Amino acid sequence: MTTNSITLTVNGDQVRRDVPARQHLIDFLRLDLGLMGSHVACEHGVCGACTVRLDGAIVRGCLVLAASLHGSTVETIEGVSDSGEIRDLQDAFIARNAAQCGYCTPGMLMTAADLLKSNATPTRAEIREHISGNYCRCTGYQAIVDAVETTAHKRRSSGPKP
Amino acid sequence: MNENIDPRALDRPNSYIGKSVPRPNLPKLVEGRGQFVDDVVLPRMVHVAFVRSPHAHAKINAINGAEALKIPGVLRIVTGRELAAICDPWVAVLVHLAGMKSAPQYPLPLERATWHGEAVAAVVAESRALAEDGIAKVDVDYDPLPAVADMETALAPTTPLIHAELGDNLCFQRTNESGDVTAAFKAAHKIVEATFHTGRHTGVTLEPRSILADYNKGSGKLVVHHSTQAPHMMQGVFAKHLRMPEGDVRVICVDVGGSYGIKVHVYPDEVATVAIAKLMGRPVKFIADRLESFGSDIHARDHRINGKMAVDAEGRITAIDIDDLTGIGPYSVYPRTSAVEGNQVINLVGGPYDFANYRAKTTVVLQNKTPTCQYRAVGHPIATTVTEGLVDLAAEALGMDPIAFRLKNLMRDDSYPRTSPAGMKFEGLSHIKSLGRLMDMIDYPLLRSEQDAMRAQGIYRGIGFAAFIELTNPSPFMYGIGGARISAQDGCTVRIDPDGSVVAATGVTEQGQGTEGIIRQIVAEAVGVPIHTVRVVTGDTQTTPYGGGTWACRGAGIGGEAALQAGIATRAAALRVASAMLQASAGTLDIVNGNIVDRATGAVRMPLAELTRIVYFRGDTLPPDLPRELMQTRHFITKEFPFAFTNGIQASWLEVDVETGLVKLLKHWVVEDCGRIINPQLVDEQVRGGVVQGIGGALYEHCAYSPEGQLLVGSMADYLVPMAAEMPDIEVGHIETPTRESLLGAKGAGEAGTAGAPAAIMNAINDALRPLKAQVLAQPFSPERILQALGKVPT
Amino acid sequence: MDMTGEQKISAPRQTVWLALNDAEVLKACIPGCTALEKTSDTEMKAAATLSVGPVKASFTGNVTLSEIDAPTSYVISGQGSGGVAGFAKGSAKVVLADDGPEATLLTYTVKADVGGKIAQLGGRLIDQTAKKLAGEFFKSFSDAVGPHAPDADAETVEKKKGFFKRLLGKA
Repeated sequence: MTTNSITLTVNGDQVRRDVPARQHLIDFLRLDLGLMGSHVACEHGVCGACTVRLDGAIVRGCLVLAASLHGSTVETIEGVSDSGEIRDLQDAFIARNAAQCGYCTPGMLMTAADLLKSNATPTRAEIREHISGNYCRCTGYQAIVDAVETTAHKRRSSGPKP
Repeated sequence: MNENIDPRALDRPNSYIGKSVPRPNLPKLVEGRGQFVDDVVLPRMVHVAFVRSPHAHAKINAINGAEALKIPGVLRIVTGRELAAICDPWVAVLVHLAGMKSAPQYPLPLERATWHGEAVAAVVAESRALAEDGIAKVDVDYDPLPAVADMETALAPTTPLIHAELGDNLCFQRTNESGDVTAAFKAAHKIVEATFHTGRHTGVTLEPRSILADYNKGSGKLVVHHSTQAPHMMQGVFAKHLRMPEGDVRVICVDVGGSYGIKVHVYPDEVATVAIAKLMGRPVKFIADRLESFGSDIHARDHRINGKMAVDAEGRITAIDIDDLTGIGPYSVYPRTSAVEGNQVINLVGGPYDFANYRAKTTVVLQNKTPTCQYRAVGHPIATTVTEGLVDLAAEALGMDPIAFRLKNLMRDDSYPRTSPAGMKFEGLSHIKSLGRLMDMIDYPLLRSEQDAMRAQGIYRGIGFAAFIELTNPSPFMYGIGGARISAQDGCTVRIDPDGSVVAATGVTEQGQGTEGIIRQIVAEAVGVPIHTVRVVTGDTQTTPYGGGTWACRGAGIGGEAALQAGIATRAAALRVASAMLQASAGTLDIVNGNIVDRATGAVRMPLAELTRIVYFRGDTLPPDLPRELMQTRHFITKEFPFAFTNGIQASWLEVDVETGLVKLLKHWVVEDCGRIINPQLVDEQVRGGVVQGIGGALYEHCAYSPEGQLLVGSMADYLVPMAAEMPDIEVGHIETPTRESLLGAKGAGEAGTAGAPAAIMNAINDALRPLKAQVLAQPFSPERILQALGKVPT
Repeated sequence: MDMTGEQKISAPRQTVWLALNDAEVLKACIPGCTALEKTSDTEMKAAATLSVGPVKASFTGNVTLSEIDAPTSYVISGQGSGGVAGFAKGSAKVVLADDGPEATLLTYTVKADVGGKIAQLGGRLIDQTAKKLAGEFFKSFSDAVGPHAPDADAETVEKKKGFFKRLLGKA
C-alpha cells in the first residue's frame, strides 16, 4: 500500500508521519495522533462533526486526505481550548446549555469561532446560516444561536481580546 | 471547578431544585474531552465490520471468506453457525400483548437474510479500513426470494410468508374498545374522516451505534463499552445469551452521543461483536458507519391510519374510530418489541378529550425491511397527528374556530383522577390551563389578522395547534408484566466522603438530556451541601445500583425520586451522628452549605468534614452502638399509576410557498406540564430538541423503499435532517402540576416536543392551504406532496 | 424501473437482427462492457463497469437471449453481481420493424433493478442512469450498424467495415 510522508503542525506541535494515500484527515487525527475531540459521524461531508481548522480555514476532516497535508497547520478543538481562544464561546455554551450530548459540539464550536472571526455582529439569521452545515440532533439549534449571539455581544462590549 | 452559578439566585442555601444550574458534564464536552466509545483504545484491540445483505429477502447458500483472509491484517471471518454455538437466539414478544408472535433471531442469521442491510457475516481485522477491504472480498452465494414490502398486502393469501413457522406475517393485532361506537356514529350530527400516513423514519444519532467488547480469558470477565441507554439491561442480555453469570459482565457508557430510543434496543450486530470478543479473547470494536446506520438502526413510525370522528350539534366529540396498520421488520426487536408503537397509538388517540365512545384497532405486520422499534415519543406523534387532524376537520365541518372546538372538548382540569375511553389513567392534568397559557403567548387574533392580510397578497400562512398527552415514569405495566427483564424501578446510593464531599451513584443514565445535572441538584439539596461538592456516578453496572437506565422519560421522575430519598436518608444518618457528637436532641440540627448548624438559629456547629473525619478515622470516640452509615441507598418504583401522564399544547406558525411547495417555519410555541421542574433550562431544551426532531419527521425525513424492498437512502444527502437555517425559534411555557406519587413530584419531559410537533405542522399547513381547498395527510409533507395537493404536479 | 424508447437505424432489418445477436457488436456497444463471450447461441458471460451516482463497480454475470422470433424480436436479459456494491438485473424486449427497405425502426422496452449499496446511495439516480445507459447502447448500436457518416473517424469506419466483413462472411 502506498504511503506518503508528511510533516505538519498540529495544535502547535510538529508531527511527522507516513500515511496511506486513502486516509482522511479525521482518521489521521483520531487514529494516528489520538486527538479524539473531533468526531466522525457521516464520512461524506454533510454533518460537520469532523470540522477542524486547516491553514486558518475550517474544513471537513472527512473530505481532506491526510497525504495532502505536508507543510500544513491543523488546529483542533483541543488546541483552541488549550490556547484559550474560544474560552468565552465555551462558557456561553455551558451557561446556555448549547450542548447536550456533546458529539456535535467540537465541530459546532470550530464553525462558530470561524463566524465570529469574520463577522463581529452576526444577526441570528447569519448565525443560523453559518452553522447550517453542522448537524445537531439534540438541541434544535436555538440554544446554540443564543450562545453565539451572546458571545458576539460580549466581545463587542468588552473590546478587543487580549 | 468553574461553576457559573450566582449564589444570589438561590433563595435559600443549597436550594437547587427548580433552578437552571449549569450541567457538570459540559466543561469537558465543550473542550472535546468527553469519552465516547470510539475514543476508547485498548491493547490488542481489533475491529469488526459486517458483510450486509443487498437483498431484501434471500437464502444464504454459502459464505466464502478465503479471498478476504489473504489480505494481510484481516484476521477472521465469522458466520452465523459459529456464533450460534456460543450465543442463544432471542424472541421479542411481550405476553401481555396477547397473541404477539415473532421468530427467533440470531446475532448473524443461519439460513436467510430478511432485510436489505442485515449483517450476514463478520470480518475481523486490525483496522476498520482493512475489515472493509475484507468485506469486498467475501463472496456470498444468495438465492433471492420474493420480498414482502407492502404492508397493505402483507396479510393477503398470495403474499409469501417471511417465517413459515409463524403461519402468517402478522406480529400483533388488538382492538381497544369502550362505549358504543356504532350507535354514536349513527346518531352523529357530523362525521369527519381521513386517512393519515406517518412516514417511516429513523433517529440519526450523530454518534453512530458503537460497542467495544473485551473478554478476559483468564478471569472469564467481559467488559463492554457500549453506547447504550440501559447498561444494566444490556448486562443482563449479554449474560443471558452468552450463558454467563451477570456478575461476570460489566457494561460501561460514559458519554453517549445522542440516543432518542435508538440505543435502548438489542442489535444483532452488537451482540455478534460481543460474542466475537468472547471467541477471540481480545477487545473487539464495532462502530456503525452512516451507510450501515440507515439500514440497521431501528426505523419507526411507518403507519397508515384511517380515522373517523363523530360530533354532535353542540360541537362535542361523541366518538372516535380508528384503524391503524403498521409495517415493521422481519423480526420484532428485543426486548421491548415492535408491537408497542401500534399498541400505544390505540391507547393514546383522543387522549386529551372528553368523550365516551372509542374503538381503535392496530394491525402490526412483518416486512422484509429494516426492523422497527421504540423511537422518541413512540406512538405519540402518530396518535396526536390523527387526533388533532380529526379535531381540525371536525372544527371546520362545524364552522367552529379550532381553539373554540378544543376548549369545548378538552378534559376539564378539575376532573381528575379519571380514566380515558382508551383505558389510560390520568392524574392531575392541566389541558385547559395549558391552552390558556398558550393563548397568552401567541396573540391569536393578531396572527389571524396577519394571515388574512397576507392571503389578500397571495401569501399563504397558517397556524396549527396540537394538544397532546405524553406517558412518562413507566411502571412494570409497560414491559415487566410482559416478561421482559426491563426495570421500572431505579436506585441511587449517596455517600459522604471524608472531606465532606458527596458522591451519588445512580441507575439512570446520561445521553445529553442532563441526568447527571439534575441528580446532582437533587442530592445537593437533599443532603444540604454546595452543589460543586457533589459528583454523580452513572453509566457503569459495576458501580451503580441496579436500575433501568433512561427511556420513556423516567430519569427525573423515577431516578430523581430515588436520589431524593437516598439524599434525605443520608442527611438523616449524618444528623444522627452529629446529635450524638454535639449532644443535641433529635431534630434540632440541620445540614446547610456543608455545615452542621442549629436548625433554629442557623449557627454553624461544625463542618460536615469534621463529622466525617470522626466517623471514618476516629470511630473510637463515638458511642459504640451509634449507627454511622453515611452511605444510603434507596430504590423507587411507581405503585399507583401505570404511567405518569403529562400534557401540553403546541402551535406552529408557518408559510407555504404555493409555487414551490416549500414550507417556511416562522415560529413555534409549546406549553408543557411535566409536574415539578427540577431544572427549567434543561426542560426547555428537551422540549426544543424534541420539537425539531418532530419537525424532521413532518417535513423532511423518510426511509424510502423500492417495491422490491430496497432501501433507497444511504447518505445524509438523501435522508434530510433539520439543520439550523430552516428551524424556527421555539418559545416554551410551563404549568407545574406535581404528581402525588412521589416526594419530588416530577414527571418526565423528554418526548413532549416530538409528540406534538408533527400534528401542529400538519394542521398549520392545512390551515394555510384551506382557501385553496388543498390538504396534506401523508408525512413527510414534502414540497412534491404539497404541490400534488394543490394540483400543480400529478400524483 | 421501466422505460420504453425507439431508435431508427439506417440499415435493413436483417442486418440489424444479425448485429443484435453478435457478441462483438454487443460488447462494443454496451457501455462499460469489458468482456462478452458467447457460451451458447443464447447465453453469454459478461463483465462491465457501471457507475450509479457515487458508486462505481465492476459487475460479472450472465446475458441471456430469449423469446427469440427471428428476425423480428427477442428479449435480452442480464444479471450481475457487483460484489460489495450490490447487484443489477435488467431485461429489454427489442422489436424490429421495417422502415422502408434500407432502414429499421427498433423499439425497446426495458426493465431494470438494482440492489444493495447502489440502490442505497444511488437510488435517486437509477432511473436517469438506466435511461442514459440504454440510450448510449442504442445510439452506439445504431452508429455501428448503419452506414458510416462522411465525417466519422477512421477507427469507427474500420470497426464498421470489420463488422460488415464478418457479417458478409457469415451471411
